[in-house]
Amino acid sequence: MTAAKLDLLQGTLDLMVLQTLTAMGPLHGYGIARRIEQVSGDKVFLNQGTIYASLVRLQQRGWISSAWGVSSNNRKAKFYSITKKGRKQLSEDAVNWQRLASVMSRVLGMQEGGEQ
Amino acid sequence: MIDWLLQFFHRVTSIFRRGKLDHDLDAELAAHLELAIEENLQSGLSPEEARRQALIHFGGKQQAIEQHRDARGLPGLEVFFQDLRYAIRALFKNPGFTIAVVITLALGIAVNATMFSLVSAFLLRRPVVHEPDRVVVITSINPARGFLPDANPVSAPNYFAWREANDVFSDISAADEYRTVSLTAAQGKPQALPSAAVSANYFDVLGVAAYLGRTFSEGEDQPGRDHVVILSHELWQRRFGSSPALIDSTIRLNRENYVVIGVMPASFRLLGFTPQVWTPLTLTVADRATSARKDHDLHVFARLKPGLTLQQARLEISNLARRSEQDFPETEKGWSAAVRTLPDFLVYNFGIRNGLALMMTAVGFVLMMACANVAGLLLARATGRQKELGIRIALGAGRLRIIRQLLTEGLLNALIGGGVALVLAYWGINFVATKMTFNEAISAVPLTLDRNVLLFVLGVSLFSAVLCSLAPALRASRTDINAVLKDESRAASAGRSHSRLRTVLVTGEIALAMFLLIGTGLLLRGLYVIEHQNLGFQPEHLLTAGVTLDSARYKDAAQQASFVREIIPRLQHIPGADTVAVTSDLPATGPGSVRVQIRGEPDLPTNQARNTRDAVVSADYFSAAEIPVLRGRTFTEMDSATSSPVVVVNQEFVHRQLRDQEPLGKQIRLNVTGPTPKWSEIVGVVTNVKNYSEAPDEDPEVYEPFLQRPVSSFSIMIRTKADPNGMASDLRSAIEQADADLALLHVMSMPAVIDLQKGGDVLFSRMLAIFALLALVFAGIGIYGLIAYSVGQRTHEIGIRVALGAGSKQVLSMVLFEGLKMTAIGAAIGLALAVPLPKVFAAMFTGLLFSEPRVYFVVPLAIIAVSMLATYIPARRAASVDPTIALRNS
Repeated sequence: MTAAKLDLLQGTLDLMVLQTLTAMGPLHGYGIARRIEQVSGDKVFLNQGTIYASLVRLQQRGWISSAWGVSSNNRKAKFYSITKKGRKQLSEDAVNWQRLASVMSRVLGMQEGGEQ
Repeated sequence: MIDWLLQFFHRVTSIFRRGKLDHDLDAELAAHLELAIEENLQSGLSPEEARRQALIHFGGKQQAIEQHRDARGLPGLEVFFQDLRYAIRALFKNPGFTIAVVITLALGIAVNATMFSLVSAFLLRRPVVHEPDRVVVITSINPARGFLPDANPVSAPNYFAWREANDVFSDISAADEYRTVSLTAAQGKPQALPSAAVSANYFDVLGVAAYLGRTFSEGEDQPGRDHVVILSHELWQRRFGSSPALIDSTIRLNRENYVVIGVMPASFRLLGFTPQVWTPLTLTVADRATSARKDHDLHVFARLKPGLTLQQARLEISNLARRSEQDFPETEKGWSAAVRTLPDFLVYNFGIRNGLALMMTAVGFVLMMACANVAGLLLARATGRQKELGIRIALGAGRLRIIRQLLTEGLLNALIGGGVALVLAYWGINFVATKMTFNEAISAVPLTLDRNVLLFVLGVSLFSAVLCSLAPALRASRTDINAVLKDESRAASAGRSHSRLRTVLVTGEIALAMFLLIGTGLLLRGLYVIEHQNLGFQPEHLLTAGVTLDSARYKDAAQQASFVREIIPRLQHIPGADTVAVTSDLPATGPGSVRVQIRGEPDLPTNQARNTRDAVVSADYFSAAEIPVLRGRTFTEMDSATSSPVVVVNQEFVHRQLRDQEPLGKQIRLNVTGPTPKWSEIVGVVTNVKNYSEAPDEDPEVYEPFLQRPVSSFSIMIRTKADPNGMASDLRSAIEQADADLALLHVMSMPAVIDLQKGGDVLFSRMLAIFALLALVFAGIGIYGLIAYSVGQRTHEIGIRVALGAGSKQVLSMVLFEGLKMTAIGAAIGLALAVPLPKVFAAMFTGLLFSEPRVYFVVPLAIIAVSMLATYIPARRAASVDPTIALRNS
């Protein structure tokens, strides 16, 4: 639990999961969690277990679907894949995030006593 | 939005698929760990280290499962179900407690629901007309005081003037709502029916269509075309067997043929108006004359022009009323006009709002006391449950969680109480409905357990759930677990703060009971005084009947007089009839008021003109009513149209209008309808009769001989020594012999007339007395519960006292004092609250007197007696504590 690791903002994990599934195709929960850790360069503090709450939420909204399957090393696991509705949601949310991120970086870039 | 709904649907269904979902999740998490371990092994870790790393990265497994459950389901609802299950278990574990709570709440809620059904029926039901808030009723405001002076009907000339001059109404109509017609069906006897004469556009202004046939069309209120009639749904069912063929057929009304053109729907009912038939209102040139300004008998209904407000209509009408006043100061001086929306007017005119407000306040107090008792019970039980709550808190239950659980229990109690209350209320409403028949307008309004009442019960149940369990729940949530779990003995101080709160509650209950009882006492006493006042005549052994002579057969005064001349001897022949008289107004039933001039005295300015009540009576009226004659004579058969006009006045007239001068021989002139009357000589003085049987006022009154000024609508009065009701059929057949087509209205004894006039006063005051008694019982139970509980808690302490030598008398008085202290404080608060009551009541119920000092003595005594009794029972138990048992028991 290093303080340097980022706590996840509400809703970010859902977006990460959707993006991961878009990029990687069908994946099981462990695979998604590992992938997010790897991509973030281990900067995100993620209890892998928390991914399952996100998965059930996304599934209930109809953005991802799931099916039991067999992993590369022959283990039974539940595989998640993104739905059409999920892709649409992802593209909307991604735009929002990018906008918010750019606004945040501009706001945080303000100099004391100056315009910019 | 759809996504959200979908998710909600999944969340709800997942509650019921809990087992499968948990099983699935378990399998998924197991797979997760295996995959992680495998990967770690491949990267060269030892099996143990691989497992450890996998678990570390995974985080808390139980937390993950909980998060998953929260995300997929409705955590709030699940906790609620959990609490509910727990609450139900607690309910069954302690049935005695549950029954006490449920019965107390059920009684409190049931009386509220019963009373609220009246509010719902009379105040909340909207008239079934098109956009009722756009329909207004214009009334005249009488400068003289009286009953609802600002809801007087309007005179025909003013109706005409305002109809033509106003700029705010899209349509305006008039109705003479209180007429009587005699209906003669093809076969059978004539029947007198309440009817209304309405202008042709009346139903269009209201925006109601006929159920069958049509309503009046334009021009049907013109003479010659006006023999058309619309029936009420009820009359159509009752008298004509719901026959649709009735439309366009002819019926006999007042001896004339009328074509039935329509039947109104059953839902068309305006509160307070009960016409069974509607005929066109024909207004003629005579109704435009200045002399017609004295007759206020039109209710004016109008529809606001689109976009205009009630305020604008008020302004317009008050300007027009002022113009009338300027143009006709003789008759209009001081009069003005009021405009109300139809729903407002109906409720106001019905005059039931104050009574209902009073009843609702009373039952509201009863409910508060019920809640206080239940809260007391819950507080007492919370003390017993401290250990249980302590353990729950020690296991990690948060404060909110504890409050939530106790509130859920309260909710369950209140909902069960509400359910039982509904059953009681159903019964109560039916009971009240069978009693609410004191007049036609009241019994026309059905009382039912309708949707409003259901919602009210639900609301009140929820409210009482919070009211009774919030305080105990807050307190319990502050349970100090260290103290509770450590404390093994039942020490005397354990329930200290609990009983302080209970003491406050019980003191409040006593104050409320005091307040209610004083209020009820004042009201009952006021009504009793009125009920037993000397009316100035003898109502017992009098049979009465109403007669309305139609204009078809009795065209003029001479024919009306000869009818009366003919029937009096016939009625005198009825076996048992002692004296027979007719009168325009039965005694003490509010005769009309007219202006009076006294010859030789200058007229006063119009705004302070002399007024007197006025009745037209036949010769034997005074002996039939047993009104004592003080001076001079009363009327004889010789006082007829051809002899010089005479009048009899009452004492009050001599005192107020003649300033106690010699009355006999004085001449007066009454400003009554018709051609300017002649001067009449006062030939006699009689004692005062109350204006109304239900009020103490006595106004100046003038009696005119019937033969000198016959009226078409009057009452018959027969004095007998036997039961008056026994003569009813003889009376009917005597009238039938004189005129087979004439219907009698209300054949009933004089005491029955008075009861009818009193309306709901008796019923309401009895109900109020029941509520006040219920309040007293609740207060008694409250004190008993508290003292009994405190004695139970203090057994140990009392045991020590007795062991140290306290006598049973000392223990008894110690406990009694505890109860007395509460009672004294509560009673003092209640008394202080009740101080303004007489003034409030006097403003609400004109005519009743509320100065009864004995109430302030009797009520506190009753309260002290009840509370002493409630304290004495547990105090006896305390006094008989055996120290050896009490001390060993701890």
